[in-house]
Amino acid sequence: MHFDSSVEKRQTTAMNKRTIATSLLIFFFTQANAQLGVMRLVGNGTKDYKLGYGAFIKTGIPVSPGNDATVEIGADVFPLDDTYGTIMCPLKAGYRYTLDGSGKGFYVEPQVGFDIYGVTSLQDKNGGDVNLKYHGVIFAAGTGYLFSISDVSFDVNLRYETVIAHGGSNNLISLGISKGFSFGRRDSNY
Amino acid sequence: MKFSFLALVAMIICSSCLKQSIPDAMLASKSGGKGRVTATMSYKISGNPVSISVSDADNQPPDSYPHLYCRKNQSYYTFEAVGSTGEITFTFLTDSLTVGRYPYAISMYDTFVTEYNGVNEYVYAPSDSITVNVTSFTKGHISGDFSAVLTPLIMPGNVDVFGVPSSVPITNGSFKDVPVLY
Repeated sequence: MHFDSSVEKRQTTAMNKRTIATSLLIFFFTQANAQLGVMRLVGNGTKDYKLGYGAFIKTGIPVSPGNDATVEIGADVFPLDDTYGTIMCPLKAGYRYTLDGSGKGFYVEPQVGFDIYGVTSLQDKNGGDVNLKYHGVIFAAGTGYLFSISDVSFDVNLRYETVIAHGGSNNLISLGISKGFSFGRRDSNY
Repeated sequence: MKFSFLALVAMIICSSCLKQSIPDAMLASKSGGKGRVTATMSYKISGNPVSISVSDADNQPPDSYPHLYCRKNQSYYTFEAVGSTGEITFTFLTDSLTVGRYPYAISMYDTFVTEYNGVNEYVYAPSDSITVNVTSFTKGHISGDFSAVLTPLIMPGNVDVFGVPSSVPITNGSFKDVPVLY
């Protein structure tokens, strides 16, 4: 009897998790903006990295006429050469504050989040391949400009981001542009 | 809002002050959290002092000069050191190196141990031997001491000509923080 109820409880919990995950996915893909960015790792130990690139999906939830709470998930790739490099997958929440309160034009956006998957592949000096996997806390601060062309919303942005893990940090500067494909947003459609 | 943004900027600036990237920090912790480790070795051969020191020993290329490391092979470990006066090498006949005493005496073959100022010294005569004592093996680094009695190879050739048996003693041998590479 106890066994049955605990199984039912586990099934209910699993269903709830699936429902939440599905709702989040639906929300993301009906409200999101797709973003591409070029980025550069900066700081100690990054001089050998080439210019990185990333792709993101970002959604904004209006919290006041000019401001949004934002959620962003993406993937950053920083090549060292053809074989080695760093990949990070940040999941971040932020607050996008447009300076004139209109929901358009210039904005600032602080973000916090978590690097859900990070890996750096490199060759050690003994010739062996090393794959270092990590997670980490993310802090970011960005600014950008929201505008529309023929009812299609765009967002050009510049961001500084730091990922902290294992007593070190990966720091990057990113320049990105995003194009909206949202369906159920406010009239400004950003 | 303004306060939150300023607090976040302050956090970013502070975290950016971390001196290492994440990979560098992880590699440093893999080396025992000691950062750059200096491996050292010293001994006397026929009373003449020899010392070898390698800084950042965890990142030494295999054939660099000088070098000092212990490499794991399939069923044994090879200890190798190369310095300004030559090289020294010995083998731990075990597939799992631990703290302990590793004696080695003559077997079927003459065994090269060291080259000192151009002369190769072997475990050759029945009275020759080398004993290595590993006193610590922590976080991928070994420390210990060793001694040996060797025979010089005077004239290498089709038939090697050796000198006076057991005429080359190695004394006061010690090594510290030598990385074990896999």
